[in-house]
Amino acid sequence: MRVGHIDRVKRQLLRQAVADNLDTIRGLPPRALRPRQRLIRLFLRRAPLVIIPLILAGFVFISNTGVPVAAKTVASPLRPTALHDNPVHASVASMLTTDTLEPVSASAFPLSVHRVVLDAGHGGTDPGASSTSNVSEKEITLDIEQRLGALLRKNGFDVVVTRNDDRLIPLRERARIANGSASDIFVSIHVNSIPHPNNHGVETYYLGPTNDPKLTKLAAAENLTSGYALADLRKLLDRVYADVRRDESQRLATAVQLQLFSGLRGVDPGLENWGVRRAPFIVLVATEMPAILAEVGCLSNDREAEMLRSGTYREQIAQALFHGIHAYASANDAPQRKGT
Amino acid sequence: MSTESEILHVGIDLGTSRSAISASNGERFVVDSFVGWPADMVARKVLKRDVLIGHEAVTNRTMLDLHRPLERGLLKEGSDKDVEAVRELLKHLLRLVGVANGKVDSANVRAVVGVPAAALRTNKQYLRNSMKGIVDSLMIVSEPFAVAYGLNALLHTMIIDIGAGTTDFCVMKGRYPNEEDQRTLTIAGDSVDTQLLKLIEERYPQANVTVFMVREWKEKYSFVGEPQKRVIVTAPVKGVPTEFDITNEMKTACETLLSPTVETMLDLLSRVEPEFQERVRNNIILSGGGGLIRNLPRTLEEALKQVGGGKVTHMQDPVFVGSDGGLALALDAPDSDWEKLTA
Repeated sequence: MRVGHIDRVKRQLLRQAVADNLDTIRGLPPRALRPRQRLIRLFLRRAPLVIIPLILAGFVFISNTGVPVAAKTVASPLRPTALHDNPVHASVASMLTTDTLEPVSASAFPLSVHRVVLDAGHGGTDPGASSTSNVSEKEITLDIEQRLGALLRKNGFDVVVTRNDDRLIPLRERARIANGSASDIFVSIHVNSIPHPNNHGVETYYLGPTNDPKLTKLAAAENLTSGYALADLRKLLDRVYADVRRDESQRLATAVQLQLFSGLRGVDPGLENWGVRRAPFIVLVATEMPAILAEVGCLSNDREAEMLRSGTYREQIAQALFHGIHAYASANDAPQRKGT
Repeated sequence: MSTESEILHVGIDLGTSRSAISASNGERFVVDSFVGWPADMVARKVLKRDVLIGHEAVTNRTMLDLHRPLERGLLKEGSDKDVEAVRELLKHLLRLVGVANGKVDSANVRAVVGVPAAALRTNKQYLRNSMKGIVDSLMIVSEPFAVAYGLNALLHTMIIDIGAGTTDFCVMKGRYPNEEDQRTLTIAGDSVDTQLLKLIEERYPQANVTVFMVREWKEKYSFVGEPQKRVIVTAPVKGVPTEFDITNEMKTACETLLSPTVETMLDLLSRVEPEFQERVRNNIILSGGGGLIRNLPRTLEEALKQVGGGKVTHMQDPVFVGSDGGLALALDAPDSDWEKLTA
């Protein structure tokens, strides 16, 4: 590069570096992390605050000009069909019958589930947990991901995977793939390893704070290849926890955990239900859609490690995960899904 | 605001293992990123100091409550001691170049500090808070960006900075690098130390070896590929100095860096616009202590052959390349910008 050109580029770089620092001082997120989806989500969350008063004002205007009025509609329980035929009337009527304003819950905006991101934990140089018989987590998660992907596709879902072979994909890259794929939910598949080899169970996580030091340790281990220190995320998390995404993630986690435990208990009577839990795994922090992390087994238990070697058991896990995802999707979007 | 003649500009490379400072008065220093406080009254009496920093802290670690304020290239948060350790380390670096030593007042210092490429905004804010009262104005930039700036490698270049806590990648495209242009791996010098210690302990369980010894051996003898000569080190066995051949262990530990480094390098290259990929492939700069691993540039060039070949250059003196870059940024930034960046 010519000297003059270098100076010009340097001046521009300096301006951008200063702007980036000013954003830090003001507490703004990085420019690259301010995608349109966030604005849209923010708009969706705030929209009722604007739209509802507008509808109310419109309704009052209509009632004052002689068009059939809401007061009549509310007072007359004889016309429920006509009322519900018109969604605007229905929503207004329901508001008028409510004494106090309630916060709008996530269920007010049912989300269709069309595309699912599947994330097979670990890979490449990062084997994850290993059993005493040398079965590695990365191999099991990839196999289950592929089986689950096939089941989902067969049932009309689009599937995006963060890895389809044995390679190391950094956690931030997994989140980038998920966020760039316009997917509706994110399901990360992992296999546990705990210090008590006699115990084994299944558990499903969604993003949230935890005071459990064991969970903090687990999250730190799973977050190892992210490049972030766990403590670094705390302030960021405070903002994420308030997100409506958390409620959806919790519902998804509950549906998946229920199916995982009930589906696998039949073939493994000793399996324990460790429930739905909250923890700050990076893939859950950085993804922008409802996201869960399922620990589908326990490699530290020799008996279960042996079961996890078999294709039949892996297929059963994939089936259980599928039923969980399907149950969540059906609750939101029953008429549009083909069904199992 | 101070007059230009009184102002000291500094570039700081705040590293997990070592931290370097370059100042506009020509002073340059590097210290081990360790801070220690005497563990008890006896230690205080022996050491005759309230706080020890750098190599001194490592040498006297048995008498100290030793802290390493950075972890994976980021400031640790949580305990008051960690906060204090960061401040002590920064104050020490500034004292070395004359700040608060009667030569320069801390109110007249403008500092550029390099942090890992993937450092989150919250960690940068935390660093800003830690530097309050220590410098007048502060600019925080990604470490590989500071390296690139100092080397004028601003366009169609990839910087791979292998430090102790992180390996940072940055593709320079003539603009301030964003998330897409940068990557950070936590597989770096420290993970090599851990792996090497484990391998040595497995092979020579009788040897009494610490991570500090392993780190010194790695810095002297690290290599990938074929060894130039056997790596023979001395460690005590029941107090008796004994020689051990750790050639294979050194090779295995150092080569754990290869796969993730190559994978990330190729991935970032594949994201460069096709017409510029060849230029970036031929402008790869290896910096940081890991850049000194023997045969590493050649091995990375071998890996580049699968995408058409390329050239990897390593910095002969990687110690100050980041802090020098920071200093260059500090000197180039106009007063009007510094006034906005008050610490």
